[in-house]
Amino acid sequence: MKQWELSRRDFMKKCVIGGVTVYSAPMLLQQQSAMAKGVASSLAETWYQDGKPAFRFDAIEKITGEKIYGRDYRAKDIPSWPDTQHHAFIVRAHIADKVYQGLDLSVIPKDLMPYKIITAEDLESNALKLPPFYGDNMLLKKGSAPDYLGHEVAILLFNDFAQFLKAKMMLQFHEHFVQYGPETVPYNAASKQPYAGWRIVREESTKGSQDDDIYSTYHSGQFFPKYEGQKLLWPNPVKGSDDIGERGMYLAQTLRQEMTSNDDWFVLNKQYKTQSIEPMMLEPEAYNGFFDKKSQTLHVVITTQSPQDFYLQAGKVLSESPLTQSIKNLVVHSPYIGGGFGGKDHTIFPYYGMIASIFADAPVRLANNRFEQFQSGLKRHPFHFTNQLAFDKSSLKLKGLVADMNLDGGGRENFSSSVAMVGASAIQGIYYIPRNDIVATCLPSYLPTAGSMRGYGSLQSMASIEMMFNEAADEMKVDPFKLRRVNAMVNGDKNTQGSVPLENIRYQEMLDLAEKHEMWQNRQANKTKFDQANPDKSMGVGFGFVSKDYGTGSNAPSSYVGVTPDGKVVVKVFSVEMGTGTDTSQASLISEYLGSAADNLDIAQIEVFDALEIFDDASPYIMSQEHQDKMAKNPRWTPMVVSASSASQSAFFQSHSTKYAAKILFEESLFMAAKTIWEKQGSSGITITDVSWQGGQLHAKDAEPLSLSIICKKAHAEGMITGVMTHGFNRWQWATAKFELNQQQKEYPLDAIALEYGIGANDAVKAKQNKQGFVVQERQAVNYPKVKLNSAMVRYYTPCLTMVELAVHKVSGEVEILRTHTWIEPGKVHVRELVEGQIEGGLTMGIGHVLHEALPQDNTGAGNGEWNIDRYKVPFAKDNGVWTLDYTLLPTIDGSDESKGLAEVVMIPIVPAVVEAIYQATEKRFYHLPITAKDISEANA
Amino acid sequence: MSTLNLTINGKQYGPLEIDPGMPMVNFLHEYLNLTGTKFGCGEGICHACVVIVDNDDGTSSTRRTCIANVMLFNNLNIRTIEGHATKNNVGEIIALHPVQDAFIKNFAFQCGWCAPGFTNETVALIEKLKQKPIAKDQVERVIEDTLGEHVCRCTGYVRYFKAAKNLILATKGLTI
Repeated sequence: MKQWELSRRDFMKKCVIGGVTVYSAPMLLQQQSAMAKGVASSLAETWYQDGKPAFRFDAIEKITGEKIYGRDYRAKDIPSWPDTQHHAFIVRAHIADKVYQGLDLSVIPKDLMPYKIITAEDLESNALKLPPFYGDNMLLKKGSAPDYLGHEVAILLFNDFAQFLKAKMMLQFHEHFVQYGPETVPYNAASKQPYAGWRIVREESTKGSQDDDIYSTYHSGQFFPKYEGQKLLWPNPVKGSDDIGERGMYLAQTLRQEMTSNDDWFVLNKQYKTQSIEPMMLEPEAYNGFFDKKSQTLHVVITTQSPQDFYLQAGKVLSESPLTQSIKNLVVHSPYIGGGFGGKDHTIFPYYGMIASIFADAPVRLANNRFEQFQSGLKRHPFHFTNQLAFDKSSLKLKGLVADMNLDGGGRENFSSSVAMVGASAIQGIYYIPRNDIVATCLPSYLPTAGSMRGYGSLQSMASIEMMFNEAADEMKVDPFKLRRVNAMVNGDKNTQGSVPLENIRYQEMLDLAEKHEMWQNRQANKTKFDQANPDKSMGVGFGFVSKDYGTGSNAPSSYVGVTPDGKVVVKVFSVEMGTGTDTSQASLISEYLGSAADNLDIAQIEVFDALEIFDDASPYIMSQEHQDKMAKNPRWTPMVVSASSASQSAFFQSHSTKYAAKILFEESLFMAAKTIWEKQGSSGITITDVSWQGGQLHAKDAEPLSLSIICKKAHAEGMITGVMTHGFNRWQWATAKFELNQQQKEYPLDAIALEYGIGANDAVKAKQNKQGFVVQERQAVNYPKVKLNSAMVRYYTPCLTMVELAVHKVSGEVEILRTHTWIEPGKVHVRELVEGQIEGGLTMGIGHVLHEALPQDNTGAGNGEWNIDRYKVPFAKDNGVWTLDYTLLPTIDGSDESKGLAEVVMIPIVPAVVEAIYQATEKRFYHLPITAKDISEANA
Repeated sequence: MSTLNLTINGKQYGPLEIDPGMPMVNFLHEYLNLTGTKFGCGEGICHACVVIVDNDDGTSSTRRTCIANVMLFNNLNIRTIEGHATKNNVGEIIALHPVQDAFIKNFAFQCGWCAPGFTNETVALIEKLKQKPIAKDQVERVIEDTLGEHVCRCTGYVRYFKAAKNLILATKGLTI
């Protein structure tokens, strides 16, 4: 057995959480480690050529089968673990309306018996429970009805793989293994209170959209319902009341009444229904863990988008149990993950692995097969909408929107409340709406838990408004482009919450581009030609246009950019790499300042940023302004230390802290080192505006070009800044602060900076270094975004328009995507191929949403444990028009240097586009998703 | 228990006493620690787990390892994703197979979980085309037929297909 030893060289102390010291291990899978082991540096270094990535930073490891994913790792692969590998199997309930009575292990032979069965009683007697975010009943107690289909009832431990596999294959689908009482009982979910009730009311000023609103959540504040059982009790409507709830309800009631009484309005009143979706990321969730009793250390390898969540909450769980009080160290390995799409964001899964480790006699691996992943993984929320959209009959201007949306949140709350909020705030799409009353209600159910899936409520709600616009244009006999032009937001218009989007709005420009496309211009002629050539099919063209928010309203990115004495560039970021290319873009974007891409990039970093010495103390979403103002006086306080890799955050938020780390490193050190060299060579008077990177060398006027390695050598020798660590906070705008750097006060859109100095640093500098070797720059003044911006809910948007040409088979109802074109405004593009890849993949996932993917919302759905992709149809290449998928990336407006988050928006406009194109092909409108071939066939019959 | 002998990436394994009901993908993972072959669905639908079987007659075919038990590979010669690249004398990867090279330079994959299956399928296709070239106007159809059953959740397949097409058209002897 290899010995586990903690040392400063290998691990850096994170923090003590309830007595457990939590460490983030240098990832087993970090690029430099992988390269050192498996890929020759001469090959690995070719990833960046001619000033841009030639391929993904992680490409060689992925295409050669190197171990880089959490699911790949076995005990024998991990230094300090014994080679023995045990295996765990979670037993889950497959019904939820009967009382659980225990397990009947007599259904398997004795030689297949697990050596330990972990039950609710084990957890209770040892005070082991889930972190509060995940709720209670981690394992279901005998004598209780499951809270949801798939409720975990026990964890079985095996010490031999062959035995484990045989037992699992016999038990997983055995009808009588999990035993239930004979009586049918009510579902527990029916007696639980709602997960969320949101209401967004707005009425614009009588002077128009640019003036202060009469009422809006941003202007007036938010109000919430009381709950009576699962019924939402909103305040009584009272005209002119001082109470924001009563006043808001009066305006809401007035708008609802006018929807049925105003003869000048054309009102479209429709219901829409979306489905439960399985993210089906290709890597099912996995865990490996080892409780080393000798060193009182629990080591875990997890596959999650939010390792920070596990990192912070697991230590607290361990600290509260007498059984685990002996654990003094928790070491978290967070590797690359094989897809996420939100399904691995704040997942409950690793906590079950942790429990298995505590009771196991050796390292234990827990790995979902696909049936288990369907049964237990996070799902996309199904929505039911009742929407009313009012247009002025003569001007075609939107007059109001009333939307009632009901979500099924499944068995545990997870992110249901915020998904409901985002769905509500997103329904306006690209349009300016002068009056709105939007209500979103999320209830618990006995179905699998829904969570933070790609699209996050926007997919469902924005698609519905686009379907309404297409239908309204048809009903009013108006060109759909014209109807959109009349109503699309322009700069200065407010969203439904009453806040103003921050970017320049370019919707009209995108509408112009799409309308001119040959697919639209020739749609009638093309249809005539196609239908004549294919008498069994009918062609249709449709489009959808949405503008999706990115960010969470509390994004807190951290980055480190440093250089070695020989000119190697090292970048460390907090983001997880789940396929989107965060590693590639972060490693590339620094070349603007350093003339070179990163040589080493570490992802999913947590503990390294302890060097910033910052802390938080409360939820940034609900803290008061007074609290923020008071705490901001402490230069080590921030509203949020770290956020998750979600909400399309890397392009804008993570890039921000990385960019500023590189910028500060160059401007405050490397340029000055170069200047010193040039002055010694006789070239004086060079300013920072005189220099530029060309071919990896820094050029200035007539001075001799300098390589990065020469500059870095100088910076290190002189003890100048050689590494910069940054932290930002964004609540729909960046926090800004002043720092003293090189004896000058500078202001940056950051709230914490720490500096690393070269090997020649003097004693005075060394005396200031903290235990991580950084010098924290004392924040001298900070300007945090006001807490009121929480009521804005959303302020960053990425617009995306997709047009589709498709054919519908008249008998079978099969839909064939003939071609698509997508227009998107991505902001500054770091790596074009990554953006294009997101468009292609997002569009395909959107096609799955609109045409193929669905889980029944009852006890025949995924929670019964019998689902896999034999029944759940995911899109294949034949389903997306793979050879004819095209796009236009709008160039940035001059001077814009910001990138936009786009990993979610790209999957949305194809949904209403396909719905409309099917209508154009069949003259049948559908109001539910997915629209299957059977649906179309039946409608055509 | 059954006795297993097989060759993987040129290396002989066996005789090994093994449960004949063990799926091949589990054997690769748990007994040989070859985890490059990915488990996706366990039903043979997603094709992430595809490996290449080299036949005695010089032809090759692909086979899904999640639905094929290990003894179905007894006495066979197979290639997995770990076997395509060129390595130096200390085991470091120094050059990629042309298919791997085409895929990475076209940014064909994102999370990469499906990449081993796509790679093996395309390697086998290229080798087949070397023996039996096709007309240039058949390339897209052949790619659709060959790669069309592989599942990818990230990419929309576009760059895999274009990379394969460009490689086939650019490689001498694959088309006529």
